Amino acid sequence: MSESGTHPPDGSQSGGQELNCEESLARVYEYLDGELDTGEHDAVRLHLEKCRRCYPHFDFERLFLDYVHELGSEQEARPGLKDRVLEMLEAETR
Amino acid sequence: MSVPAEQRRREFESEALVHLDALYGLALRLSGGDEPRAEDLVQEAVLKAYRAWDRFEVGTNCRAWLMTILRNTFINEFRRRKARPTPVEFEQVAERPSSEALYEADPEGRIFDHIIDDQVIAAIDGLPDEFRIAVVLSDLEGLSYQEVAELMEIPVGTVKSRLFRARKRLQAQLYDYAVEMGYLR
Ligand SMILES: [Zn+2]
Repeated sequence: MSESGTHPPDGSQSGGQELNCEESLARVYEYLDGELDTGEHDAVRLHLEKCRRCYPHFDFERLFLDYVHELGSEQEARPGLKDRVLEMLEAETR
Repeated sequence: MSVPAEQRRREFESEALVHLDALYGLALRLSGGDEPRAEDLVQEAVLKAYRAWDRFEVGTNCRAWLMTILRNTFINEFRRRKARPTPVEFEQVAERPSSEALYEADPEGRIFDHIIDDQVIAAIDGLPDEFRIAVVLSDLEGLSYQEVAELMEIPVGTVKSRLFRARKRLQAQLYDYAVEMGYLR
């Protein structure tokens, strides 16, 4: 992992102080997933408000996560499954 | 067959089986697109739910209750399959060199309006088990890091790093698709 921004988040530092680009990018997913504590969340947000390099990167990651989330997992089951489930329930009730 | 038992079954069928597609979809994604395995999982989960039906409080979220049973059923089965855990195996999965290529080529994320959903689903299905399960639970199902950690019995830090790597791998795959489609050069 050579490029900055590709480091898995280590979540080591606690909030309050200002973060640099690398520190902010390391927290991109925790930030977007709403998994940072308030102090760290604010520290990242403060950085994003003034960094033109990080802001679009975060925006992109948000689009990506929204896209994947909207895929959802619901999928029509083949009709045979419902029949087998009904048979199973009937057998179990007997 | 006694009347109450029959009534109970009818009640279960009308309350629970409307969620069959949701259960099947989750089972299919968790199992990486393995249809027979997904169907087995659904049957096993439905049977467990039926046996526990007296403990379900009518009026609470039946779908969420069923999905929880299915997730637990899957994880238990997954653990049995992986009788000897091989954490080294997936930690060694190398980061693709193009993990940031998608962002660099398409910073505005226009690809997400063009890519075919089935291709992305195939890419998710193709992730190594531990990565895929984390993505399905977190990104498709919306579970918190803590919930994923408890379910998979791994530290929260491991959830973070699996999600990070899984998402980067997906992006690398999407980049490859986008190039194949001629959408990106
Ligand atoms: Zn920055």
